[in-house]
Amino acid sequence: MKKTSRIAPARVAQTLVYHAVMLAISAVFLLPFYWMAISAFKNNAEIFANPVLWFPDPIRLENLTALLTRDDFPFLRQFANSVFYALSVACAVCFSCSLAAYSFGCLRWRGRNLVFGLTVCALLLPGIVTFLPVYLGWTKLGLNGTYWPLIAPFFFGDAFFIFMLRQFFLGVPRELMDAARLDGASEFRIWWQIVLPQVRTPLIIVGLFAIVYTWNEFFGPLIYLQDRDEFPLSLGLFTFQAARAREWSISMTGALLTALPMVVLFLVTQRLFRQGLASSTLK
Amino acid sequence: MGAVQLLGVQKFFGTMEVIKGIDLRVDDGELVVFVGPSGCGKSTLLRMIAGLEDVDGGEVLISGVEVSGLAPAKRGVAMVFQNYALYPHMSAYDNLAYGLRRSGMARADVDSRVRETAALLQITDLLPRRPKAMSGGQRQRVAIGRAIVRKPEVFLFDEPLSNLDAALRVEMRSQIARLHQELKATMIFVTHDQVEAMTLADRIVVLNSGRVEQVGTPREVYHNPANLFVASFIGSPAMNLLPITRGEDGSILLESGEQMIWPGGKIDGPPGRALTLGLRPDRLSLVGSDQGQISGTVHLAEHLGDETILHVQTAAGRALTLKCDGDAPARLGDLVQIGLDLTGACLFDPDGRRVQ
Ligand SMILES: Nc1ncnc2c1ncn2[C@@H]1O[C@H](COP(=O)(O)OP(=O)(O)OP(=O)(O)O)[C@@H](O)[C@H]1O
Ligand SMILES: [Mg+2]
Repeated sequence: MKKTSRIAPARVAQTLVYHAVMLAISAVFLLPFYWMAISAFKNNAEIFANPVLWFPDPIRLENLTALLTRDDFPFLRQFANSVFYALSVACAVCFSCSLAAYSFGCLRWRGRNLVFGLTVCALLLPGIVTFLPVYLGWTKLGLNGTYWPLIAPFFFGDAFFIFMLRQFFLGVPRELMDAARLDGASEFRIWWQIVLPQVRTPLIIVGLFAIVYTWNEFFGPLIYLQDRDEFPLSLGLFTFQAARAREWSISMTGALLTALPMVVLFLVTQRLFRQGLASSTLK
Repeated sequence: MGAVQLLGVQKFFGTMEVIKGIDLRVDDGELVVFVGPSGCGKSTLLRMIAGLEDVDGGEVLISGVEVSGLAPAKRGVAMVFQNYALYPHMSAYDNLAYGLRRSGMARADVDSRVRETAALLQITDLLPRRPKAMSGGQRQRVAIGRAIVRKPEVFLFDEPLSNLDAALRVEMRSQIARLHQELKATMIFVTHDQVEAMTLADRIVVLNSGRVEQVGTPREVYHNPANLFVASFIGSPAMNLLPITRGEDGSILLESGEQMIWPGGKIDGPPGRALTLGLRPDRLSLVGSDQGQISGTVHLAEHLGDETILHVQTAAGRALTLKCDGDAPARLGDLVQIGLDLTGACLFDPDGRRVQ
């Protein structure tokens, strides 16, 4: 008798159904992205064509050149702003939160648990509650209209990231720090040279979270920034759409180019996300 | 130089007193071993000497200087940890060099010191490797290297060999003994291992729940335990403990009703005084019927080749351990007669104090 596949037909059917359902669900989620992507290569008429054009024909790359050369949408300028904004926040978060997490997780001092408890409480406080006094404060300082109010607070830590990093700092063996103390390293040096290398992966992940969060941040820039040349992309795209409601193809090109860096970032770093948080800090 | 002195040292964790006023002097060049049950405060005491833990009461003196204000690195001490605590992201070379660099030593001097130490410990081949790429024994050697490279006056070892396999332990033990000879430094060594303690120590310090029970040479603590705790803790297999009473004429009255003469003559105190008799397992032997003082059933026989350890349950329900010849005929379930040899026996009062 001919040897057949060892997988039972019932199993095959089950797998097929499973994949079909998963594909259908993913399609629902992916459709808007796909629509955005193809619209970036159509003109307005083609976007609204009936029947629907599922693939742009012709592929209109001129949208791209139009976007980059328009003077009412300084796309490249705003892209650079976004990069600056996101990287600054990521650096600030990594610096301040790892210092705080080191203190909460690795050092022993009176009142540590109380202060940590208060920090976690800050997580429960919606940002909107403190928004007005903070806004007035920045205005008093004359820094309204700059990136200071958007970036500077992150140099003083962020409750969620502190909370998350502390777990990893707790996993660093105490003896490692003791050995460094006996070797004559200062606390700051121990943090920098001994402990940080042990929590590198979580730290990078925190940095990535901060980048994605900041890249999409809308409310803060909307409140504090007034000049179009200062806007990050999230805000720039919105104001462009609001002002030129009928130029869909340019909007979609802008949206595609705004989303793309985050998609690429995710694809490049997804291995970290999958392994890093699951595995222990010391590997 | 290098002497460590503890004067009434205390440590509290919260409200719990973990170290309860310890006085101890470790002389320069001496190798002292701390032993004691888990949680008795051995590591804490070591960490207090190193300066990694604050001293809540009393004083620590190193080379005659009170060190409470000195940072760990300034005390002239080095420590080897149980889990080695090598810096995982650095090569063995950098692990050794890290402390030297912190002290501001010139690059060329660092290099020669690291290589000299590596040669001493035969780890030159390992220098470029990271700890992850080493075996347990190799890591251990690098960890010891990191301690000696700074030429400290005092070495603190916190159970450094407990993660190694038996053969490697023996090898590292002799290596530490050799290092002690060569470096002539003061060493304080914490261990759970009886053999390690007995073979390495100039003096043994027996600790129990934050107190010193006895300080003495290995022979002293073995043959002359100060109290019941030391007697039962030192020695493996542990000392046999039998409840007895003083007979009318100063003799020993066993539970079984047998009477024995105390080797020194009489035991002190009033007749009927309840005491505990401590006897090392090699003082018990199998004897022919009607010659023994105690009878019991064998319920475990460990044949170790040259000797056999018998665990016997007496009629009164006591567990006894006997060390006999390798060819002892006893088998599981046998009813045996046991003879007691009272030379070197100890007597303890109900508070655990040694009385005779
Ligand atoms: N940071 C700490 N906070 C609170 N209690 C502690 C702390 N460190 C140690 N202890 C307590 O102090 C006591 C002594 O601990 P220590 O580590 O010195 O014991 P040990 O003798 O080294 O034990 P082992 O042989 O298991 O290593 C234990 O009861 C322990 O629970
Ligand atoms: Mg310990």
